Parts: sequence; structure tokens; C-alpha cells
Amino acid sequence: MKRQVRIQQLGGARAVILHRPHLNVLALTRQLRAIGLVVDEAWPELGAQALAADFIFFDADMGYDGQFPWPAGEAPMPMIAMIGSEAPGRIEWSLQIGAHAQLLKPITGSGVYSAVLIARDAFDRQRALAAEIADLRRRLDERQTVVRAVMLLMQRGKSEAEAYGQLRQMAMAWQISFEDAALRVVARYAAEGGDDQRNRG
Amino acid sequence: MGRKAFAPRGLNLFGVQRGAFLFGAALVKRRIALGLLHSGSGSYALLSQASLIGAQAAIAAVNADAALPVQFTPVLRDPGGNADAYGPLCEEILRDSPARHVVGCVTSLSRKEVIPSLEKLGGTLWYPLPYEGFEASDRVVYTHACPNQHLLPLLDWALPAHGRRVYLTGSNYIWGWEINRLARMTIMQAGGAVLGERYLPIGAQDVERMIDEIRATCPDFVLNSLVGASSYAFLRAYHALGLTDPRFTPERCPMLSCNLTECELPPLAEAAEGLIAAGPYFRGSSGWPGAAEFGSSHEAASYAAVTELARLLAYHGAGSEDWPLAHLLAGAGGPIDPGTHHTRLPVIIAQVRDGAFKVIQHRGDVLGDPFLSRNLTTAALPLRVVS
Repeated sequence: MKRQVRIQQLGGARAVILHRPHLNVLALTRQLRAIGLVVDEAWPELGAQALAADFIFFDADMGYDGQFPWPAGEAPMPMIAMIGSEAPGRIEWSLQIGAHAQLLKPITGSGVYSAVLIARDAFDRQRALAAEIADLRRRLDERQTVVRAVMLLMQRGKSEAEAYGQLRQMAMAWQISFEDAALRVVARYAAEGGDDQRNRG
Repeated sequence: MGRKAFAPRGLNLFGVQRGAFLFGAALVKRRIALGLLHSGSGSYALLSQASLIGAQAAIAAVNADAALPVQFTPVLRDPGGNADAYGPLCEEILRDSPARHVVGCVTSLSRKEVIPSLEKLGGTLWYPLPYEGFEASDRVVYTHACPNQHLLPLLDWALPAHGRRVYLTGSNYIWGWEINRLARMTIMQAGGAVLGERYLPIGAQDVERMIDEIRATCPDFVLNSLVGASSYAFLRAYHALGLTDPRFTPERCPMLSCNLTECELPPLAEAAEGLIAAGPYFRGSSGWPGAAEFGSSHEAASYAAVTELARLLAYHGAGSEDWPLAHLLAGAGGPIDPGTHHTRLPVIIAQVRDGAFKVIQHRGDVLGDPFLSRNLTTAALPLRVVS
């Protein structure tokens, strides 16, 4: 799939820089403002304002878990690490806390725009993947429901293939997922007393 | 001559002498070296030479101006149109001469090549050509147009005026790629269609395939982002096509460009007739600050770069030639945005008629918005239709 970089939604976007006052912060602020973002600074902890931010830039050198008002790796926006020391421990921490892109110190204007776009893309993809995985996981969890729904339909005189087909058609007609259709079938027929498993109890 | 240490503005002891300079009987001009990085040969030499003419005219004007306490000494280097020569030659200027400011570069490729040298040696580049945007180096001042000052207004005019079926051409580097990417996005958002998009290496002249595709697809207009010799070959071939096929005359299917100026009309001769371009200045157009007349917008933007630098150096006083660019631009007024280093410029769409550009639409002044994040394209509306 060809990915198109969204360029026109950065105007007015909010960035928070989590770094002690420093020349690197000045250079980064200058470049982010040139790009069109609104910039705030925070140190040593992200305040409540961070929750409304569209991007977080954080110091990878002096940073620690407690600075963030969310669990490591669960930032609700793209995060960009400002890396001075490339020691593996610091890179590891940056990854754990959830860096989507990085900038190397000393920070100049170069690299800021691409870091913003790459971080946002990585964040969007990560979120889309997480949503897809959650959906797949839920569908896996409903396997047993699907089996029960097919069996209920088979008890009404259908072959296994016909029962499957009927369930699929129901899902399409109701415009819901296959698993949700199975849930409805189980709920309906179980209420009518057609569910072997219930009768058995 | 050794470089002076940077003096913060608040400690500038020389600033108080500004008035004395102006009213004193014998004004002593500060001699300040100014780098000029212009190619005298190569595929885009006409643009480079137009820029050099503008810069040299401005140097002469500044040096002759008794009211300006500044005298520029040019330090000229010629990269000969070779992109890889720009970085080393820029470094040579900054290392071997006291110059901290350099005017020049034509292609974005060459500009990107000199930025590391500027960062390393504390220099500033005044870049006086149109470019594709998405850059705001703290070492560069951009005195010509970026897309919200050329491409977007040009399409805003052309799509309703000529139609939404477009053919895109370009040279195989960042200018062509990025202009066409933005054009494609804008055309698609307007519900139009891109019928073809084809590139040539810089300097290549085998344009037959583009011409064949244009003849086959019959677009409403063509956007030409080829540069130099490729562009001339393409425009001549398209002109020849229009002579034999009435579907490809300037009236039926015009040729549009974001970087064509008067300086490239001579090699095109009659093939230039009907070409449409967007730019901040065309010979005889209104809106450019100052009364001077220029051969083209490349001259005008280079002239403006040098005179604006002279104004800033006069405003801040002795030693300011060695200041970081941010300090030079801060609080000094003028047309350059200290935030992005882009310039407020007139936005004009013009067409070549009888060998000279005639203004079709003058859209007023628009501030350069390199990242297209400020929606400044339509700020100059309502439009003023000139002819």
C-alpha cells in the first residue's frame, strides 16, 4: 500500500518538549515553530497540558519513567526521543518508554520535520495494528460461540455448510461481524430453549 | 582580518552610533566581504547568471549609497553547475575570506549541499530562487517564492480557468518530484485527474515520449517543472506540436511553470509564446518594493537579498556581520519572517505575449509558508484581475 504523508495538519498542532532548559530546546522550539506547531516546555514532569499535546519530545539522557502520566509504552500521542548519549541502556529506555522517532543532539533544524512525520506515521500504524490485534483476539475468543451457533442452526435441520452460510448471511444482513452474529444466534436460540448445553444443565 | 566575537544586541556599543553615521559629514563605510556562489556554466547557467547580475547590481548600489555605512567586497566562486562543487566552494569562501554571508545556489540539491558547510563554519546563505518548500534552515534566508507563493496560486487560477485534467513533467530531482507531488495532491483534492507524470535527468533532452503522451492524453494544461536544457527542448517540441495540431495551442492547452522567468526567454524565442508562469516579479509588474527595474525575478530576489542584508547590517551596527542570523533578523522589521526566514512577496501569474510577460492575475503580497501549515495561500483574496 502506498502511504501518503499528511502534511497539512501540522499547523497549530501542539508539541511539548520534556527537557531541562537548554540550547537544544531553543533550537528545537525554533524549528517546530517554523514548521507551524505551538510549543510548550516541561521539566522535570509532564503536566496536565501533556494530555492535550499532539507530539511529545523527551530527553533520552536524563529521562525516567515517573515523568510521564501514562504507563511506559502507552503514550496517547507520538513521542520523539532527544538522544545525546547513545549508550545502549538509554536507547533501551527510550524504546521502553515508547519512542516513535529520534533526534540526535546537538539539535539543529535538520531532522526535526522528518522526525515529526515519521513519529506520527509510526504512532498511527502502531495504533491501527493494536486495534486490529484486539479485534482478532476478540474474534479468537468467540470461536466457541461460533461453534455453538453453527450447532444450533444444524439442530434445525441444516448441514454444517448450510449453517455456516446462513450465519454469514445473517452477519451481512445485520452488518455486524461473523462473531457478533453468532452471539445473537446463541442468545436467541438459547432463550428459545434450543441450546443443548443449556438443556443439559 | 580576524572574525570578531559575537556581541549580544543588548551589549552592542556601536548601535548608538547609527545616527552619527547618517548625519556625520564623512561617513566611514565598513568593508564587509560578501560571498557569491554562482555558476557561469552548466545546464541552468542562465538562472545563475541572472541571480549574479542582481547581486552585483545590488552590491554596486549599496557601495554607491552614501547613507549606508556598508561597503561590500564580493568573494566570487563558480561551481560550474556541478552540484558537488557547491559545498566545498562555500566552505572555501567561509574559511579563506572573512565573509559570513553568501548569496547564491540555484538548485535545491546545491542548497542542501552547502547547509552542512554553513553549520560547520557559521555562515548564512541568501537563497534567491524559487524552490519546493519544506525547509526552514536557521542558516538560510529564502528570498524567492515557495509553493504557497507559486504552485498553489497557479493551480488555484488554472484549474477553474482551464480544467482539471493535467499532465505533469519534471526534472529528476527534488524540485520536480516535490512540485509534482503537491500538484497531484491539489489536483486530486479538486476532483481532477493527473493524466501522466514523467521525468528526465537534468540536462537530458529526449522529450519525445512526453510529447507523445501529451498528444495521446490531450490534457487541459501541462505543468512543466523541467529545468534548463531539458525544459528548453521540451518547450520547443511542444511549440512545434501546437503548430501542427490545434489541440495544443496556448489557448487550448497552455504550458504552466513555477520557475520560468524572462532570463530564459532568449533561448526559447518564439517557442516561449503563450507560456504561463507564477512568480513574485515580472518585468514591468507592480508590487515589488523599491523603484528599480530588473531583468527577471531571479535578479530581483538576488538584489533584494543583498540590499536587505545591507539594511540589517546598517541597522544593527558594526560587528553585526558576524552575528548569528537569528540575531540579525530579530526585531529588525523588513519583509523576512524571523520565524521561517521566508519572505513576503507579491504573487503574480503572467503569460508570455509578444515576447514579454503580461500579468494575468495579481494576487497581492503573501508571506512564504514553507510547510504549508499556516494556510496563507488564499490570504491575499479577493483577487485583482488585471487583464
